Amino acid sequence: MAIVDIEQFIIDYFSAYQCNPLKMEDGVMQVELTEELDKILMNRPFYWHYIQSLGQEGVPMTLTLITNPDKREQAGEWIDIGSPRLQQIFNHVTQHEKYTLLFQEVNTDKNTPLYPWLLANFKVSYRGRQKKEEIISLGIQLVTGKVIVNMMDELNKLALKQQISNFCYTISPIITLTSGFKRIEKIIQHYVENQPKEWANEALETRNEEIALLKQFYKDDLENNIVKKEMEEINNRYTPEITIDVTSGGLIYLLQDFPDIERFS
Amino acid sequence: MTINQTFIKELEERLNNDGPFSSHQLFSLGFQAEQARIIPSFSGLRSLDFLPHMSFLDHQVETALETIEKMNGRAILADEVGLGKTIEAGLILKEYMLRGLVKNALILVPASLVNQWVNELNTKFYIPAVHHRKHHNWEGNTILVSSLDTAKRTPHQEVILANEYDLVLIDEAHKLKNDQTKNYQFVRQIKKKYCLLLTATPIQNDLMEIFNLISILKPGHLGDVTSFKEKYSSKTEKQEADVYLKQLIERVMIRNTRENTNLKPSNRIIETVLVDFSNEESEVYEQLNNMQRGQDIFTKITLLREICSSREACYLSLAKLQETNPQDAEIYSIIQKINALPAHSKAMKAVELIEQIGDEKVIIFTEYRATQLYLQWILQQHGISSVPFRGGFNRSKKDWMLQLFKVQAQVLIATEAGAEGINLQFCHHLINYDLPWNPMKIEQRIGRIHRFGQDNDVKVYNLAVKQTIEEHILHVLYEKIKLFENVIGELDAILSNLNIADVEEEIETIYRESDSLGEAEIKLENLASIVQKIADETSEKSVGE
Repeated sequence: MAIVDIEQFIIDYFSAYQCNPLKMEDGVMQVELTEELDKILMNRPFYWHYIQSLGQEGVPMTLTLITNPDKREQAGEWIDIGSPRLQQIFNHVTQHEKYTLLFQEVNTDKNTPLYPWLLANFKVSYRGRQKKEEIISLGIQLVTGKVIVNMMDELNKLALKQQISNFCYTISPIITLTSGFKRIEKIIQHYVENQPKEWANEALETRNEEIALLKQFYKDDLENNIVKKEMEEINNRYTPEITIDVTSGGLIYLLQDFPDIERFS
Repeated sequence: MTINQTFIKELEERLNNDGPFSSHQLFSLGFQAEQARIIPSFSGLRSLDFLPHMSFLDHQVETALETIEKMNGRAILADEVGLGKTIEAGLILKEYMLRGLVKNALILVPASLVNQWVNELNTKFYIPAVHHRKHHNWEGNTILVSSLDTAKRTPHQEVILANEYDLVLIDEAHKLKNDQTKNYQFVRQIKKKYCLLLTATPIQNDLMEIFNLISILKPGHLGDVTSFKEKYSSKTEKQEADVYLKQLIERVMIRNTRENTNLKPSNRIIETVLVDFSNEESEVYEQLNNMQRGQDIFTKITLLREICSSREACYLSLAKLQETNPQDAEIYSIIQKINALPAHSKAMKAVELIEQIGDEKVIIFTEYRATQLYLQWILQQHGISSVPFRGGFNRSKKDWMLQLFKVQAQVLIATEAGAEGINLQFCHHLINYDLPWNPMKIEQRIGRIHRFGQDNDVKVYNLAVKQTIEEHILHVLYEKIKLFENVIGELDAILSNLNIADVEEEIETIYRESDSLGEAEIKLENLASIVQKIADETSEKSVGE
């Protein structure tokens, strides 16, 4: 899945970092950075170091970002999915926005319990001759042990905030974070083990073929350093490998009826 | 298949310390970014999604796919000049970087092309490649571009060999054909995962050359040295084994030709422009031709070729002759006559041609520096702006001259050396002011403008003076052998079957070993007939298949 709307993505990004004013016109966006974002995006540590040592206020830069192809020739930075600026922003948010603690927003005047969920977004990489990745978003309720997939999609349907709403209170987890995590880990491992294995077998086959060729090439001289080097290169290139990372996650307190399928039917 | 536990520990710690935590919006942006960069499939080119500003040609995309999916990232990219080898290589590198399979790369190219590679990778592919000179470090997660000559020198060589690269790319890889050279042994030792060798002329003379190239990529693919030599060194067996060998080579090498890429973005229109010498010029030519000192036929040939180019070029050689023979009355008289000659007829023809072409850019190639200077002067006399270009210029002067040609001057006057690798797609008129005797040079010349990105038909004008050695060479080399129409690789193969390594040398030898011009001309005709015959047989065979 790709980001459908790059323009919306960068608007969200800059507004979430309190950059103002945002002038947005016909695919050309002017944004005055905050000091925080200037330090992150503009790569001018000497300037900030100098300003700081003088004890002065720095002036953050203003960026002009262009997403409208007709305006491409104008002064400013052209932004598309591959452009370095967007990739830099991607790097920033994937590295720094990994952990969250959120509460469902509830408009109520009655005492309302919120239930704890552990959210973990996994990235599974399969590397053989080529590479494939997939993202799996899992959630486990830490009272009942109920597990749901595509947790992120469900959460995006809700209003969530960093503070708990009035009249709401949280239920303490019965399952600890660590054992909750262990449970969903098992589910992921089980899932990965049951995926098709052709890619791994192909990689092993290619590895064996190339090693056989190599041995034939060097015949009697297999202790030679260059043979060892080539052998290592073949192993590095073809030995199948699966890695599982958690890219982001957190603790989310939600109403008891989550996920509420009824609302959307 | 273990799962990293840092996430859950870090989460617990943050919960104990009350944060820091991301807002719902930023957390969700992080997840979107992660999704946007995912590699959803083992196959296909994810890089195409990330390079929406580029429009690739079909054969370039196919080449990248084949290199990655079938050849597992080790390949010889051997497209004909001008079909975009750099683009293919950039696409492959980009794909591997996006898939996280390449984090560092070493790109070794001729010194004159280092800047061009750095620019193209950055602007076309958003690959943050850096020129090694500015970066005295061969390690780390970077995409480094350097010249092979720098890299193989101490202390660089030692550092490079101690390092491991995810991808090594060698441009102009025909320089690695000989396994006895330092270049070859150095490249062979570099630790690498993927490897791309780029060359427009993968086989020139000897099958051992391709054997050596392939041994860098996939040792053993063509068997071991001894049995390969046994099998393919004797000529009779070679014919039969060819099909099998060809198939094996095709598993590690991709060669796109103008012929097999259906897309022929532009045609070559070749026009021969014959020039009449003035009476005075003919007189000098005849006098040179009948020179008493003509025992050395090769000197004579040189003088004759030069007078067809410019009186300045000829004068320089004569002046040298005079130095060694100060008393020679004949040389003295010719020099006097040359001094009195009016503007060179061929130069005037060139001026006329450029005026006809109008406002469009023109590149002129000449073999002689003296002619280059003369042409610059005579164009200026006719109000035509031009810039010179030659091998002796340093890199920044070359860049500057090309820039001037692009934005200001109408004409670029180039000598052979230094033109290797420059891209002039914005120009589509080429004047071969004098013709080199080596067909490779002609292909290289035309390749400067007839390449990927050329939107117009390319017009090539061959100038030759009537009733001179030039006309003869034009006739034999360029009309009989059909140099321009024959695929260069085919001609290569034909010549190597005849044991001719270098056409230019062959022709020179013919002249040197002949007692008269007449004899040389007959020998040349014979050579042309043989080549033509083999070429016809080859093309019949391929029609038969």
